[in-house]
Amino acid sequence: MKLKSPRALMATAMLLAGANAAEAHIVAARLGDFYMGAMHPLTDLQDVVLWTATGMLAGTLGAKGRWLILVFPLGLLVWLPFGSALGAASTQLAGAAMMLAIGMLLAAAAQVPTLLLCALAFAVAMIRGAANAADLRPETDRLLFAAGLACVGYGAITLTMALTAVFKRPNSDSATSWRAIALRALGGWVAAIGLMMASLVLAS
Amino acid sequence: MRAIQYLRLALLTLTLGLAALIRPAALSAHEAAMGVLEFREVRPGAFVGRWSIEPSIGAARVDLRVPSHCFLRLPEMNCGQQGLVGPITISNLGSNMSVVLIRLIPIEGEPRSYTISTANPVVTVLGTDAPTLEAWIELAKTYVNYGIDHILLGADHLLFVLGLIWIVGGGWRLVKTITAFTIGHSASLAAAAFGLIGVPERPLNACIALSIAFVGVEIVKQQRGEIGLTARYPWVVAFTFGLVHGIGFASALAGLGLERRLLPAALLFFNIGVEIGQLAFVLLVLALIWAHRRLDAFVPRWSEALPAYLIGSVSMFWFFGRLARMFAAI
Repeated sequence: MKLKSPRALMATAMLLAGANAAEAHIVAARLGDFYMGAMHPLTDLQDVVLWTATGMLAGTLGAKGRWLILVFPLGLLVWLPFGSALGAASTQLAGAAMMLAIGMLLAAAAQVPTLLLCALAFAVAMIRGAANAADLRPETDRLLFAAGLACVGYGAITLTMALTAVFKRPNSDSATSWRAIALRALGGWVAAIGLMMASLVLAS
Repeated sequence: MRAIQYLRLALLTLTLGLAALIRPAALSAHEAAMGVLEFREVRPGAFVGRWSIEPSIGAARVDLRVPSHCFLRLPEMNCGQQGLVGPITISNLGSNMSVVLIRLIPIEGEPRSYTISTANPVVTVLGTDAPTLEAWIELAKTYVNYGIDHILLGADHLLFVLGLIWIVGGGWRLVKTITAFTIGHSASLAAAAFGLIGVPERPLNACIALSIAFVGVEIVKQQRGEIGLTARYPWVVAFTFGLVHGIGFASALAGLGLERRLLPAALLFFNIGVEIGQLAFVLLVLALIWAHRRLDAFVPRWSEALPAYLIGSVSMFWFFGRLARMFAAI
């Protein structure tokens, strides 16, 4: 029984990781390239987990995190023009490594300095911007796609940070409160998913 | 004081430059590319097809798929004794051709219309004159989705709503303002769809752009401490401009040539779709405002005027673009 749960988790992770951008392309056919850019990251497990983890880490750090409102969408745009230059495996591996690092920081409830937090978020955004750009088709309007991607990046990171800040309740300073422990446990899960994904990429 | 003027000039130049970078095609994306194909029954099961409105990609490039027992080589379509019953689809729908209305004119009975859209790419021809439950469900699915698509692709409508939220803030004032906008655009949408009022599309689109510029000016006034018309009577402004935007929504339905008995239901479902899209947008904006407050993240004082100038500049860019198109058509 003990063995089944990790296997099921791994199978689910593989299934979700394998979900390609088909849904986003359907959105593009229906609503155009702006909405394709906005929907594309939401159809990829790495984007969802990494963005949420980054937002949660920033949200636990209070006012330091607000710089990410600017830094994160900018990071998504920086690497977008060179998306195909990086291989799919290298972006997957880099993403998994970032997931592991951020998950561990979250699990350790580390007080990350503002500069390091911004650097981490920028790196995550650059890696995922490149991964999203790799799926672009020649006929896709890059300007509209980039605008959609940056908008969803801004919205997702801002809302995640605010929700985490509300959940954590900054006035309650107890590090042993169930809320703080829940966030640390989630950080542990993120790190575990990162480790599994890195292993999968290295094994394949 | 002079430094502020220079700053505003710089911001204006920057936003105009940015707006100019965006291609006009992308800005008018919500003006759906549509086509209308008529099939007239000449003898039982045999039809002659004709494009009464040709889609922008060209009639020859439309990949129309009819039920398997039908033989199609436009302008002829032969469905034999079974008649035209079954699914019809177009496989290459996209942003260049988002809606195609198929109009069937039988030898006996009333003409019937079916709308194939990117939101609802397969329609089923039922072959009976009286609409069945399936026909109503299909109509609802098609037009609710079409309404959602129309508002989500209508950057001008969304920018106007954003401007209203910016001025009014949250709470009951916002609820009243958005309700007034909804009542306004629903009333004029219905009036225009039933042919009670008619305004040419191009001047109307230019007016819609001007309504956004008006909101931009009102935001600047508010930032300077002046109480503008929108701040004083937001629901009056919302209702009045809602009337203008509603006629714009109706233009999306007008080209489809829906039969009159289906028009009230189609209109209702389309309006429900528009409201769903609008509500989702308002909720998203309110969630983001809440998140910014929670995180103590506000725009610096020196850049407070930027959003208003951005809204104003983009809307004036649209206005001049639409004005140019209006004069080009004369």
